[in-house]
Amino acid sequence: MERSSARLKVFAILVLVMFAALSTRLWFLQVLATQVYAQEAQNNGVREIPIDALRGEIWTADQYGEPKGEPLVKNRSSLEVRVDKQDLEASGMAEQVLGELSAMLDIPVKQIRSDLESKLYYDYQPKPIAEFVPEEVAFAIRERQEDFPGVQVRNASVREYPMGEIAAHMLGWVGQVQAAQLDEPQYRNYGPNDLAGQTGLEVQYEKWLRGTKGLQRYVVNSDGERIRDLGGRQPTAGNDLVLTIDSQWQRAAEQYLEDSILRTRQVFDEDSGTYYKADAGVVVVMDVETGGLKAMASWPGYDPRWFVRGLKRGETCYLGLTEKCAQADTAAPLLNRAYQEVYLPGSTFKPFTALAAVKEGFANFGSYYPCPSEYVHPNDESGASFSNWSPVDLAPRTLAENLIISCDTSFYKWGSDFWFRYQNDQLGENNEPLQKDLRAWGFAQATGVDLPNEASGFLPDAEWGNDPEQRDLFGRGGWNPGGYILTMIGSGYTSVTPLQLAAAYGALANGHRCRPHVVDRVMSSEGETVVKKVNGQCNRTVPYTNAELDYIRNALAQVPVRGTARLPFLGFPLSEVPVAGKTGTAYRGTQFQDTSWFAAMVPANDPKYVVVAMVEQAGFGSDVAAPLVRRMIEKMYDIEPGGQIVSQTGQD
Amino acid sequence: MDVVAGRVWVDERRPIRHLDPTLLIVTAVLVVIGLFAIYSATSQTLRADGFDPFSRVNKQAVTAVLGLVALLVLATFDYRFLKVYAGFIYGATLVGLLVLRIPGLAASDTGTSNYIDIPGVNLLQISPSEFAKIGLIVILAAMLSELRSPVPTVPDLIRVVGVAGLTMLLVFVNVEIGTTIALAAITVGILVVAGTQAKHLIALAVGALVLIVLAFQLNVVEEYQVERLLTVFDSGSVSEDARYNLEQSVIAVGSGGMFGRGFLQGSQTNLDYVPEQHTDFIFTVVGEEFGFFGSAFVLSLFALLLWRAIRIAYLSKDGFGTYLAAGVASMFAIQIFVNIGMVIGIMPITGIPLPFLSYGGTAMLVNFVAVGILLNVHMRRFK
Repeated sequence: MERSSARLKVFAILVLVMFAALSTRLWFLQVLATQVYAQEAQNNGVREIPIDALRGEIWTADQYGEPKGEPLVKNRSSLEVRVDKQDLEASGMAEQVLGELSAMLDIPVKQIRSDLESKLYYDYQPKPIAEFVPEEVAFAIRERQEDFPGVQVRNASVREYPMGEIAAHMLGWVGQVQAAQLDEPQYRNYGPNDLAGQTGLEVQYEKWLRGTKGLQRYVVNSDGERIRDLGGRQPTAGNDLVLTIDSQWQRAAEQYLEDSILRTRQVFDEDSGTYYKADAGVVVVMDVETGGLKAMASWPGYDPRWFVRGLKRGETCYLGLTEKCAQADTAAPLLNRAYQEVYLPGSTFKPFTALAAVKEGFANFGSYYPCPSEYVHPNDESGASFSNWSPVDLAPRTLAENLIISCDTSFYKWGSDFWFRYQNDQLGENNEPLQKDLRAWGFAQATGVDLPNEASGFLPDAEWGNDPEQRDLFGRGGWNPGGYILTMIGSGYTSVTPLQLAAAYGALANGHRCRPHVVDRVMSSEGETVVKKVNGQCNRTVPYTNAELDYIRNALAQVPVRGTARLPFLGFPLSEVPVAGKTGTAYRGTQFQDTSWFAAMVPANDPKYVVVAMVEQAGFGSDVAAPLVRRMIEKMYDIEPGGQIVSQTGQD
Repeated sequence: MDVVAGRVWVDERRPIRHLDPTLLIVTAVLVVIGLFAIYSATSQTLRADGFDPFSRVNKQAVTAVLGLVALLVLATFDYRFLKVYAGFIYGATLVGLLVLRIPGLAASDTGTSNYIDIPGVNLLQISPSEFAKIGLIVILAAMLSELRSPVPTVPDLIRVVGVAGLTMLLVFVNVEIGTTIALAAITVGILVVAGTQAKHLIALAVGALVLIVLAFQLNVVEEYQVERLLTVFDSGSVSEDARYNLEQSVIAVGSGGMFGRGFLQGSQTNLDYVPEQHTDFIFTVVGEEFGFFGSAFVLSLFALLLWRAIRIAYLSKDGFGTYLAAGVASMFAIQIFVNIGMVIGIMPITGIPLPFLSYGGTAMLVNFVAVGILLNVHMRRFK
């Protein structure tokens, strides 16, 4: 067909063009752009699900030859119900689902609703509404997932506390990562459902405890069915913490503190005309060589297991987490008073102010200083007078003797000296040496303890006192001699945390100021490798000679023998275990009862430990805190308990 | 010598000696590649569902054997008999298409199915529209080979368009856009080879365009089909489903790279990401598992197939043979281009199978019949 051959050529050319188009496109897809598509194919078929890592455990110190001491925090699994509010609302079945959940979980609908409104979590985070859900309820929800839009049942690992309430404040608690945390850079790789430490060691050591999530990779088909496992990465359990805390001592500290407080409440306070309120207290035991805390008790406390199982209404009120309670409870049991709250240190402050007076040349170890019942700042005509704890004038005595009987008026005199130093050199570089000398012990600054939200305490000074905000506190003239006079006896506007005081006594004990800490070391979860050893940084010294420190220690060693703590230490074998200590009774005005303090170094001749006790609204240091410290030392040195848990001496 | 020479001559003239082995081999290789591709596309899912992983492959292989039989039958008698029975064949395909509109006979009670169930024969569902392609080729070739003028006149064209249009209309109302396109391509192909004047062809094209616009305006076309057609032009404006088809298929082909991921190793294929993979999207298996080389190889086979068809059209001793071969070439060409073009995202998504590779009984049979016709024309090319 000659005629059609030309047309067939046209036809053939059309076909060639077709093939050229197809080949060009194939070349582009399969050769030039193949990497893009290979990646997309990869993303298509491979799913990754994270596997939560087991959180690290927390153990007490290895005091008794064990590799670790006793477990304080372990893990166990819990079935949790979480609700994605957005999904639930989008389904249009919210009413019905909430009703059904309420019935199944035995939680009022109102409660679930308020949980869903919780501002602790972002709206895109599924919000926890129930933990430890019974297996059959979890099964019922999973089985009919389509009837429960937005409802998730998760097998979560939760904290377990084998020792119960022991050390609750210190340990802290763990919860779903909160909105405020997700805003911070260190939480940037947290998913909305992840757990995170919220308080205490749990948050302080979050990065160690958390571990590394694992990853399961598997191939899914277009229906999302799992076709085969591609392996992945096993999660790495979090590191364990081994504390410096001695489990026996911690238990004892908590027990004695509670005993002491409950007993104190039965004592009638003549001054206020009521029984002592004794509403809170602290016991701290610190190793002065390392800064390691052997015990740290704060009362009132709470049970960390409440957070694990979910708070009940009464507990929410008790913990002060809601304002909708019948009567506002001010106990603030979540507060770790050992380092998160500040107090007037009272006479426990005197060893440090005495040394400052010596250092600045206002006092020496050879002179005698009067101890009258009243003290008036020289040439002060305002009528202000500062009284001693004793209503009678006592004979002049050495600095040591003044410490032993805790004479206030001799210290007032040195306070006046500090005032004159300031007044005569108002623009001088070093016109407030008292504050500087006290800071050298660590006062008015955080100790750096490895726990969150530490309070730093306060030392008033001229700048602060002259600030318009505080000016009225000191009468019309602003900062005045009273500021120094009261600071000398740990009163006025001075404040310390019990932990600060313990650290300062630790420095007094051997001249080295340590950073107190509760974690001894971070251990790898599987082996016995020490991942991190916590350093007490005890190489910082205080600016006093050994002789000066010895002088003070020797003086304090006489306090239980013949000083303010003689009665509470009656019958205590001081010859075997000498104790150097100082009582404190901080006057808090007429609204509150006095704060009872005792700070001790033991053994006095070569101190190993500092023991500090403080009970709020409990009266004299020698009545409540000193016997409490005695009992603690008896426990520490295996001494048969003697004396009363609360004595009635009427002495500072 | 004469006798000997005569015998030799007679032998030379025997059609069986003039088979086109290239065409047969190309067809066979394509079918075999198709079987591998179907296995890859279906075995995983079949096994997962507890079926014999070879069941689809086996069925396709049986169809291929039936196709071979059809090919032999078609090659045996002189193709000019087709011209004699062209009217009858055309009529039969029209009846087949009409049967689909009769509820009860069609495979679906709703009357929208494209298949007729042959009672008792489970193996095959007959799709009349596939056969309509052959019917149209035959009737057009017959009509155009009997023209009195050297080129088709306007009345000729009107008759041709009438015959082709009726077929297309019946296929179109069965919602088979792909087959309608194939029928149009066959018509145009044959008309071009028959020497239709350019102005007439343009007029036809304009007319077709008007009809297409009208069809859209009158909502004759289903919404999903419009959508699928649009994917190639603007992937942003279409539904998730339509876009998904295209995306997954392009990902599959693209991820194959130069050498492919290996037989049964394609994740898009094995994990069922490409919808309709063993039928319309079979080329994604070739693209993903055998890469650019595999794709180019299959394209070359198709090119070879078309070259042989065009060559046969050229060699044919009469107009009827030329037009038959041209029609078959048009049919294959449009199917290859639209199908592969769709798979790689340069043509709209229309339900059009890839010759010899796509799973499907009737299409396979029809393709073999078409090759049989080509062979027949080739074997009897000497006057």
